[in-house]
Amino acid sequence: MKKITVPEYNVVDKAKKHTCALATGARELVMPATVTTHYPRERRKVADNFRGYILFEVEKCINCFQCAFVCPANAVCMKEAPNKKYYPTIDYAKCIFCHFCIDSCAGGALKPTKILDVAYKDIDEMLTLTEEMIEQPEIIREDVRSVEYVLTKEDLVLKRNPGEDSLFVKVTPPPEIPMVSQCVEPESCLGCGICEEMCESAAISSLKEDGMVRMKIDTDKCTGCGLCVKECSMQILRLVRK
Amino acid sequence: MENKDEHMDFLDSGVLAPFKKWATKWSLWPVHFVTSCCGVELAHAFGCGYDGERIGALNFGIARQTNFIVVEGTITRKMARALRQVWEQMPDPKFVSVIGACGERGGIFWNGYNIIRPYDVVPVDFFVPGCPSTPEGILRGVRAVQDKLDGKDRTTIEFKNVGLPSEEGKENRVPTTPKIYSPTPAIKVDVRRDADWGTGKELVERLKGELNGLYKSITITGKNRIAIKTTTENVAEIASKMSNGVGIDHVKNVNVIDVPHERKMIVEYMASSYAVKEFMPVLITIFADIRRDECKFPSLTQYWENADYSEREMHEFFGVWFEGNSEMGRKFLLAPDTPEFPLRKDFKLKEEMYAFEEGKVVPSGISAKPATEISELPLPLPEGFLEDAENSDELVVLVGPHHPGSGHARWVVRLKGDIITEVLPDVGYVHRSMEKLAENRLYIQNIPLFERASITDFGNINLGYVRAIENALGIEVPERAKYIRTVIAEVSRISAFFYDSAIAAMMLGHSTGFMYAFALREMIVELVTRMTGARITASFIVPGGVRRDIPADVLETVGNLQSAVQKRWKKFEDIFINNPVTIARLKGTGVLTKEEAIKYGVVGPFLRASGVEYDVRKVEPYEAYDRLNWDVPISDDGDALSRFLVRVEEMKQSLSIIRQAVDALKNMKGGVLSEELLGDYKDASTDIRGYFYRVFGDIVIPKGEWTSITEAARGSLIYSLISDGESNVPYRVRIVTPSWLNLKGYMESLKGSRLADLQALFQTWGYFPPEADR
Amino acid sequence: MIETLINEIRSSMAENRVDIPLLEPLLKPVLTAPLIGDLVAFLLWRPILAFLFLFTCMMLVSVFLVWWERKAAARIQWRVGPREVSRQIGGLIQPVADGLRYMFQEVIVHRDADKFYFIQIPILAFIPFLLPLLFVNAGNLVPIETPYGIPLMLALIGLLPVMIVAVGWASNNRFGFIGAIREAFMYFAYEVPFIISVIAMLVLYGTANPVEIVKEQGIWWGILRNPIAALVFLITAAMATSRLPFEIPEADQEIAFGPNVEYSGIMFGLVMMMAYEKAFILGCMMTILFLGGGTGPAIPMLGDLSGALWFLIKTLIVLMLLTAFCRAVYPRYRLDQALSAGWSSMLSLALIALLISVILGVVM
Repeated sequence: MKKITVPEYNVVDKAKKHTCALATGARELVMPATVTTHYPRERRKVADNFRGYILFEVEKCINCFQCAFVCPANAVCMKEAPNKKYYPTIDYAKCIFCHFCIDSCAGGALKPTKILDVAYKDIDEMLTLTEEMIEQPEIIREDVRSVEYVLTKEDLVLKRNPGEDSLFVKVTPPPEIPMVSQCVEPESCLGCGICEEMCESAAISSLKEDGMVRMKIDTDKCTGCGLCVKECSMQILRLVRK
Repeated sequence: MENKDEHMDFLDSGVLAPFKKWATKWSLWPVHFVTSCCGVELAHAFGCGYDGERIGALNFGIARQTNFIVVEGTITRKMARALRQVWEQMPDPKFVSVIGACGERGGIFWNGYNIIRPYDVVPVDFFVPGCPSTPEGILRGVRAVQDKLDGKDRTTIEFKNVGLPSEEGKENRVPTTPKIYSPTPAIKVDVRRDADWGTGKELVERLKGELNGLYKSITITGKNRIAIKTTTENVAEIASKMSNGVGIDHVKNVNVIDVPHERKMIVEYMASSYAVKEFMPVLITIFADIRRDECKFPSLTQYWENADYSEREMHEFFGVWFEGNSEMGRKFLLAPDTPEFPLRKDFKLKEEMYAFEEGKVVPSGISAKPATEISELPLPLPEGFLEDAENSDELVVLVGPHHPGSGHARWVVRLKGDIITEVLPDVGYVHRSMEKLAENRLYIQNIPLFERASITDFGNINLGYVRAIENALGIEVPERAKYIRTVIAEVSRISAFFYDSAIAAMMLGHSTGFMYAFALREMIVELVTRMTGARITASFIVPGGVRRDIPADVLETVGNLQSAVQKRWKKFEDIFINNPVTIARLKGTGVLTKEEAIKYGVVGPFLRASGVEYDVRKVEPYEAYDRLNWDVPISDDGDALSRFLVRVEEMKQSLSIIRQAVDALKNMKGGVLSEELLGDYKDASTDIRGYFYRVFGDIVIPKGEWTSITEAARGSLIYSLISDGESNVPYRVRIVTPSWLNLKGYMESLKGSRLADLQALFQTWGYFPPEADR
Repeated sequence: MIETLINEIRSSMAENRVDIPLLEPLLKPVLTAPLIGDLVAFLLWRPILAFLFLFTCMMLVSVFLVWWERKAAARIQWRVGPREVSRQIGGLIQPVADGLRYMFQEVIVHRDADKFYFIQIPILAFIPFLLPLLFVNAGNLVPIETPYGIPLMLALIGLLPVMIVAVGWASNNRFGFIGAIREAFMYFAYEVPFIISVIAMLVLYGTANPVEIVKEQGIWWGILRNPIAALVFLITAAMATSRLPFEIPEADQEIAFGPNVEYSGIMFGLVMMMAYEKAFILGCMMTILFLGGGTGPAIPMLGDLSGALWFLIKTLIVLMLLTAFCRAVYPRYRLDQALSAGWSSMLSLALIALLISVILGVVM
C-alpha cells in the first residue's frame, strides 16, 4: 500500500509552481519537442504486422468459408466464381480490421497490407469483390517521406526517411498442418449426400453398393476445409491429421 | 436524403467563387461533436501526433461556428436526433464525413437494435473505413473534402479487376450457419462446483445461520462465488440482513435472465463487501425466479443504493418492474423508438449472411427509419421536475449531448445560483446493444465486440471476457502468455489513464495538457501497433493465451517505455498537474468520503482515493500479478485531486510492472497458447495464424453461470456468462463496466459543487460514455 | 469667408502634417496636385493619421494575433499549427482563410433570439470599441491630446462589458445567459484593482495626460518604478479580456462560448473580434503606462512614424505574451476563485502598488 497525500501549498510554493509552469512553457516555445507527422506530406511508418486492407490469392484458397464464419461483423461474404467455387468478398463498410479472417485462413490466401487511409464517396463502393482483391490497389499518395517513431531509453524520437515507404508486406505462409476429412462411423451414414454437395474440391464421391450409398473420400483431393464435417447430418465426419 | 452536392453549387456561383472555394477549403472546422468511440482516434488526428490544424481543420466548439461534421462511428437512435439537430444548426455551406465502420453499415454492431445509419439522417460526403479509423484515414477524409472543393474528383483507392478462374466446376451447396443454438436450453444459475476454496464452506455455514429460513439453497459455484436461491417474498429481508448483519455493503451487478420456455425470468443481484475483509473477493449472487407474465420484483435500492441505475437498466431491457424504485416506467438508456424490451429472448435479431448475393449487397439489421425531429428528442425528467425547479428559483440547464464538455451524454443540471443542487444523468447515447449482440455471436466473435465498449482500455476489457471463458473451460494459460497478457493489460491501463488525463486537461481549458497527454499516448499506441498490429483495438488476448508471440526486439522497445516516458511526463507534470490553477480547481472539489464511496458502489482507483484498499489484482490475483512487485496507491481525501493523483501513482506502478514483466519474458521460453485448447494444432502454439477458427470457432462452455472480475483501468469489470452447455453462443452475457458503476458516484459528488465543476470532475472520474453505455 | 476658412484648415493641416522623410519625395508631387493633394493632406493630418494608424494596427494586430495564438500555442504543444495553407510563411494567412469562410457563411438568426438586438449589438459595439483609441498616443501621433486621456480611456473601457452582456442577453440562450452573468461578475472582480493600479501610476507620474506620462517616464519605465502595479495591470487585463486562466465568461468546455454561443458566420467574426479589440486597447494602455509609450531609438528615415513603430512593437509583445503564452500554460479558474482572487490578492496588491506610488511620487 502506498499512501498519497496532498500537501497544503503556501504562497512560496505556489509562486514556485507558477514559475515552473511558465518556464516549461517558455522552454517548449523556444525548443519544442514536436512529435507531429505531417500527413499527407509524410506518412508514419508502421510495423509489418499492421492490420490494414486485405489482399487475396486465389490459388491458395481452399474455399473453406472460415473467414466468413469467423468475421464478427459479417463483412466477409463468399461469392461464387465462374468455376462454381466460393471466394471471399469484403465489405469495408463493415470490416473492423480485426484480421480474424487472416488468422483463420489455413492456406494463407488472405494477406494483410498497410493501407488504411481511404475515403469513399459512395457507400456502395466500399464493397470489395474477389476480383478486386487480387492485385495490389493504388491509393492517393502525397507523401515524400516516412516518419518512424523510435522509442529509445530516453525519449520518443522521430526519424524521417526520404522516399515512399512500401505499403505491401511479404507474408510468410502459416505452418502447414495438413488435415483430411474422415468418416468415423461409416455404418451410421444415411447416404444423404450433403457432404458430396458441399465439397468444392470434388473429393467426396458416392458409390451405390447393393442398394446402399457409400461415401468415399479421396484423401489426395481433400483440402481439409472441414465443410463436410460441419454439415454432416449425422455428425460422423471428423477432421484428422494426414 | 438531401443532395450532398447542393453546397457546391453555392460555392461555384458568382464572381467570388474562387475565393469562396479557397477559403472553405482551408477552413474546414469540424464541430466538436463526439458521437462514439472513434472520437479517440479523432483526438489523435487533431492531437499533436498528426495535428489536423496543419491543413486548416480546427476542431471547434459548437455547431453554429463550424462547417464540417466528422461523424465518429456509431449513431444510436438517441443520438440520431442530436446529429440531425447539430447538422441543422450549422450554417451553410457544410460538409459531413463519416468515420468508422459503425457509421457506414454498422460495423460490428450491424444487427444491433439501437443503431441507425448516419446517411439516413444527414447527407454524407465521404466515408472512411476502419474500426476505429486511423488518424491518417480521418485526415484523408478531410483531404477528400478539400479535393472536392478544388473540383478534383478522384477516388482515393483504385482497385484492379482480375479475372477469376473460369474452368467449369461442380455445383456446390452453400453451408449453413456455424452457430448452434440449443432448442430448449437448460438454464441453471447455481451449478455446484468443487473449488479449491478453504474458507468457502465456513462462509456458507455462516450465511446459512444468518439467513435461516429465508433461502431455498446456498451453493458454492466456484472459488469465491456463492449463489443464494430465494423467493421474491424473502429477497428484501435477505438483503436487509446481508447489508446490516453480514456487512455486504454494495451491489456489483443486477442481472435478469429470460427463460421463455419455462415461462420465467431469473433476477439476480451480485453483492460483495468492502468493509469485511474476508468477503472482499467473494461475490454473492442472490437470485429468485419470477413469472414471465407478471415481471415484478422488489427493488433493493433501500439496502443497496447503487443498485438503482442497474435496476432501471434491467427494467428497460426486460420489462421487470422493480417495486419501490421510483424511476420505473421511464426511459433511461434507450430512445422512445427503440424496440421494447429488446433483451427478451422473443426479440430476434437479423441473422448473418455467409454467401454473397448480387444486388442484396449485405443484409443490414438496421431497417427502421430513425426519428430525427427535435420534438422527438426525449427529455427524461421526473414529473414536476421543471415546475419544482421554477418554484424554488432554480435554473435547469441541459448540458449535452452536443456540448464541448458533456461527453456523449446529457446532464440535466439543476442550479441554485452557481451551485449544483442535483444532476440527472441522461445516458445511453452510445448504447450499442452489446449484451443482445453477444447472445447471437460465437464466443470468439464477442472479443472484438466487447473491446469496443472501451477502446481506451482495450486490454483489460478483452482480458476480463477471456478470463471468464478460461475459467469455465478450466484451461491453464502458458506462463509466457500470462506475462504477455500482464504487459498488455498494463499498457492498456496506462493508455486509458493518458486518455483520461488528456480529457481532464481539456475540460479545465488546458489544451497543452491535452496535447502532452496525447503525445504520451502516441508512444503507447506505437507500442501497441508493434505488438499487435492495431493502433487501439488489438483483440489480441484469446482464450488460452494470446494470438501470437511478441518478437524480442519489440519486447525490448516495450521495456524502454518506463524510462522513455519520464522526460515528457515531467513536463506534463510541471505544466498541468502541478499547475497552481489545476490544484485550485481540483483540490477539495467533489469530495466523497469512504462511507459514501462504498454506499454508491464506486470502484477502482476512485474507490481507493476515498480510502478503501481494494484492488482485484491483489484481492483475487490473476495472470502474473502475484509474482511481480508493486503497490496499491490509496488516499484518504476522496476529492478530485486525490482521485487524479492516485491514478498518477498507479500509472507509475504500471510502468514498473511492465518493466518487470518484460525482464521476466526475456528469459522465458515456450508457446503462448494453451496446448490443451489447441488439440491437433499444437504447431500453432506461438502464432495462431491459419488455425484461428479451427481452434476457437466451436468453443462451448459448461452449463451454469461464470463470473469473472477484473481490475480494469477505471475499476472492477464484471463479466457474467450464462451457458446452457450445448450452444456455441452464450445464452446471456452480462457485462458491467467500471464507468457504469462510477456514474452514481460522479452524480453524487457533483451535489453542492459549482457549475464549472461538472466538467472539472468529469474525467477525474474517468467517465467514458461508450464504456458506461456499452 | 469660406475661402479663408479653407485656407485656415489647409495651413493647419500643412502645419500638423506628419513628417515621414522616407515618403517625402513621393509625397511632394502628390500634395501639390489639386483635390487629391487636399485629400492626401487631410489623411496626413496628424490626428487623422494617428487614428488611422491605430485603427489599421488594431485590425492587422487582431489578424496577426489569431495566427500567433494558434501557432505559438501549437509550438508549445509539440505540434505545428496552421501550415499547409501557405507553407512558405508558416500558414500566416490562415486567419484570412477563416475570416473569408465566415464571411461567405450563412448568418443564422435563431427563432428564440431577440432579433433586433441580436443583429445590431455586434455591429454597434464596434464604435465603443474604437473610441478609446482616440486618446492613445502612438509615439508622436496622438488623435486627441487631453489631460484627461487616461481617465477617459478607463471610462470607455468600462463600457465594453455592457456590450458583451447585451450580446449574451440578446441570444436568449441558457449558456449565453450564464456567460453574460459571468461576464458581469468578472467585471466586478477585476475593475477595482484594475483602476487602482492605473491610479497608482497616475499618482506616480502626477498627470493623466498620456503624452505627459510618456515624457515623464523617460528611460525609467513604469514597470521598473512600480512592478507590482504592472503585475496587477497585466493580470486584471487578462481578466478583462477573458484570457486564460480567466477565460470564464466564454469557457467553451463549460458553457460553450457563453455569449457567443448562437452567433454564426460573419456575426461570429465580429463578436470574436470584440475580444481582440479590447485586448489591443488594453495592450496600448499597458505600453503607455508601463513601457514608456513610443520611446525608443529614433529611426530618422521614418520621422514621426518611428515612435509609432516602437509603440506598436511594444504593444504587440504585450499582447503576444498575454494571449498566446498564458493560454498555453494555464487552465481555467472557476468563477468564485477569480472573484476571490480579484477582491483579495489583486486588491491588496493594487493597494500596495498605490502605496509604493504615493511614497515614490508624492513623498520623495
